[in-house]
Amino acid sequence: MKIFWDILRILTGLVALAVGGVLRLWQLIAGGVAHVYAKTPLGRSRLGSIAQHTISEGIRMKLALVFLVLIGACVLGLPFTVRGDSSLTGAVQSYMSYSLTVVGFLLSILTIFLSRSISDELVHKQIMVLMTKPVARWHYILGKWLGITMLNLSFLTFSGAVIYAMVHYIKATQPPIDEIYSSTQIGDSNEVEAFSFDRQRLEYEVLTARHGTKYVPPDFSAAAEREFQQRLEEGFYDSVSVFEPAEERRRLRGKQEARWRVVPPFDSRVFEFKNVLCDRSPNSEIQFRYKPHVYNYPIDEILRAFWIFGDRSKGAKEYRIPTRHVIGRYQTIKVPADCVAPDHTLTVLFVNTNPYADPNFVRNPEPFFLYKVEFMKSRPVECLFVVGSFEGNLVRLLALMMCKLMFLAAVGLLMTSVFSFPVACLASFMVYTLAGLRKFLGESIDQVDSDTMTVISAFKAAAQSAWNHDWGAASESFQTFVVETVGEVLRALFFVVPDFAYYNGVETLVNGRNVSLYWVLQGIGELVLLQTTVVIGLAMILFHRREVAEVSV
Amino acid sequence: MNRKPTPVVQTAGLCKTFKDFWRRPRVEAVKDLNLEIRPGQIFGLLGPNGSGKSTTIKMLLGLLYPTRGRIAVFGKAPTDVAVKEKIGFLPEESYLYRFLDARETLDYYGRLFRLPPSVRKTRTETLLDMVGLRHEAKRRIGEYSKGMARRIGLAQALINDPEFLILDEPTSGLDPIGTRQMKDVVRGLGRKGKTILLSSHVLADVEDICDQISILYGGQQRAAGDIKELLSKQEYTQITTPRLSQDTIEQLRDMLQRLENKDVVSVGAPKHRLEDFFLQVVEDAQRAKITTSGVRAGGTLPEFLSESPEEAASAVVESLVSAGSTRHEPAAEQIEPIPLPDEPEPSKQVVDDLLSAGAKREQAKRDEPEPVTPSEPAAPRPPVEADREVIDELLAKTSRKSDEGESS
Repeated sequence: MKIFWDILRILTGLVALAVGGVLRLWQLIAGGVAHVYAKTPLGRSRLGSIAQHTISEGIRMKLALVFLVLIGACVLGLPFTVRGDSSLTGAVQSYMSYSLTVVGFLLSILTIFLSRSISDELVHKQIMVLMTKPVARWHYILGKWLGITMLNLSFLTFSGAVIYAMVHYIKATQPPIDEIYSSTQIGDSNEVEAFSFDRQRLEYEVLTARHGTKYVPPDFSAAAEREFQQRLEEGFYDSVSVFEPAEERRRLRGKQEARWRVVPPFDSRVFEFKNVLCDRSPNSEIQFRYKPHVYNYPIDEILRAFWIFGDRSKGAKEYRIPTRHVIGRYQTIKVPADCVAPDHTLTVLFVNTNPYADPNFVRNPEPFFLYKVEFMKSRPVECLFVVGSFEGNLVRLLALMMCKLMFLAAVGLLMTSVFSFPVACLASFMVYTLAGLRKFLGESIDQVDSDTMTVISAFKAAAQSAWNHDWGAASESFQTFVVETVGEVLRALFFVVPDFAYYNGVETLVNGRNVSLYWVLQGIGELVLLQTTVVIGLAMILFHRREVAEVSV
Repeated sequence: MNRKPTPVVQTAGLCKTFKDFWRRPRVEAVKDLNLEIRPGQIFGLLGPNGSGKSTTIKMLLGLLYPTRGRIAVFGKAPTDVAVKEKIGFLPEESYLYRFLDARETLDYYGRLFRLPPSVRKTRTETLLDMVGLRHEAKRRIGEYSKGMARRIGLAQALINDPEFLILDEPTSGLDPIGTRQMKDVVRGLGRKGKTILLSSHVLADVEDICDQISILYGGQQRAAGDIKELLSKQEYTQITTPRLSQDTIEQLRDMLQRLENKDVVSVGAPKHRLEDFFLQVVEDAQRAKITTSGVRAGGTLPEFLSESPEEAASAVVESLVSAGSTRHEPAAEQIEPIPLPDEPEPSKQVVDDLLSAGAKREQAKRDEPEPVTPSEPAAPRPPVEADREVIDELLAKTSRKSDEGESS
């Protein structure tokens, strides 16, 4: 028993030492950074001083540390709790998805809480001393914003680094679901090689940055017009009471396209891709991604098909690839990139036949499984090619997240320069929620929106019905009025509140898609240069007009 | 041609009306206030609670905006950043950041004035010495007592070597040592030509320090001017001597009755002030090196606060200890008129007048040509000795007179 207590004491001491060491290390790092920062032009300026003070406040008041611990716990703990679909690729994808979402959310909350420091200083009156120093009001607001942004930047960098390290940790430690080992005798040594589609999929479909090009469907206008004219001649529309030719032409075009999307057995389809701006060398490759849809198929049924990539007439190399793919799941075919024509077009021919039924092709031919295949509009066929690395992709995603945090910091400062702590935080949360749900809310408004009534006409109708004592109609019109009013208010807010969902690149990264530089620049332009500037400017104006001392008579 | 220097502060028709949520006027905190503070003045702003002192100060600092009227600080708007370069402000409570320690606090404010790192460091250490908190500089402000926080408040107000110092209730929350140091510092700064605006409820502090005052009541100025002029009472005379025997006192009474036909209002033995006694006890404790987590000795005015290097060399205000151990009760309290507690300093001039009046009478009677003229003050001599000499002379004449009276 005594030994147990001794061991416990020793362990406790070791833990205390470790914690102390970490804290000391943190102090040294923070001190070193502060020392270097103080020597920079920004560090010497008033703006920089206020920014540094805001960071110190966040750290010393334990707020930032609490969030740092939370973030650390999430990004370090999630690999051991999130497994995805038990495959290696699924584990990495789930981890990245959860961790990046959680980091974004926690940093947003931290940003809102940090920006309350203005109202704190107003309440505790430190601002009365600060404003007697040679600090302009705009210095103060901008310095605070800069401080919050710098803290966010450091936390985001830390999170990104840990997530990157953990992705590689998962990759190194978790076995793939389909690893096959083969040994080769070279001299006296026996070399064992491992191969896994799961691991390959992780490399080529997740830990990469791919750009996707969607095919351009053929123009069905001529075919639709022919059908329309034929129907006219046949008197098809004579019995139709309301006939709109334009609408009918559009419907026929859609019908033609729907027919084109369905490929009967032994039939074929050509997919034309333009602007496939990939490296055309045979060493690099392109990925063809599609999701086959077949009517009335058994579970886990395999679709056999034959693909031809590249058009010789355009100077591209041709590749003939037989495939066996599970129906109803996204499938990827990898092809050497020289199948892309010099004019950066790619022609892909799909033949709905079973190549494994050809006795010339296989020794034991299979039967022809006569399935009618559909390439659905909602699941477009894509040509993907690598345009960058996973590391670059992650950095660009973090930059997008940073843009959102910068905007949120500005909103927080605007609110806190007008309202006191709880009100300011609630208002900031509202903006955050509205920005996150903007797309969803916009679609909801459009769905419930009345095409025939405006706010004023709905109000008039409600008033008219009430005047006529038609309470049922009045109630209905009033409901329309309320819905329309809420819709108009939200639409007005959408002008100033950005669409955070649009700038959510987590899914893009997780699917190994390219988080494009254009997207990041768009985020910087819209979220930072435009909206953050407007919000910060508004905060400066309001704060400039504000009296920072309280009435004490 | 002598040009009048630009006033440090000038207000004209200054009004501040606080409004309620519905923008209705609620309280008129300051009404039509006209102030003028000239360079080098130590200006006291007095008034009961709610008289508008703090509101006036906040308007001078640009923290509140006037409803009507104009303010000029160094000839500019108080919100001008250039004006704030020259100002130091100690608020009524030390509104400092609780998470910073003393050194970090001073460094932060120093950075806002864009002082170079070396200057910041020197000034920080000097100011910490001045307020006696060098040994507690690593503790966070949140852990400080109110008095210690006030001291750091004073230090931050001086970090930029301000031309104009605004002190709102500077001695509030300070112990007697701190109060004495604060007064010494303010006096020292005044001697260096700094302009100081001081608002206080402690009238004795204001009286000790200020040379100009303004008394506010209900937001309006009720009295203003030179403090000596406002407080002087010409109808009383005060004489301070070393301890006298009862006989001598009686003789003096008789003499006054005879010469001036006036009675002595009060006679008493001088006392040490409690402040001095307290400081003596603390000094003894410090000599005995008794440990404390509180304030150590301080009070020496930093050299950087001087106006010129020459002044810097001699710019040391008496330290707490020396001040406490050497100062004794001023003569004003030895003979204290009961109904009027505020007595002016003892005037040798009055004694001289008294003496000369007696001498004239003697001259008329005895034709002794030895008048003591009013233009013969004992100014260069120490006051006590001067008084003794005068009294001795007076007594000698009185005894001669009585001898002659007896012989005749």
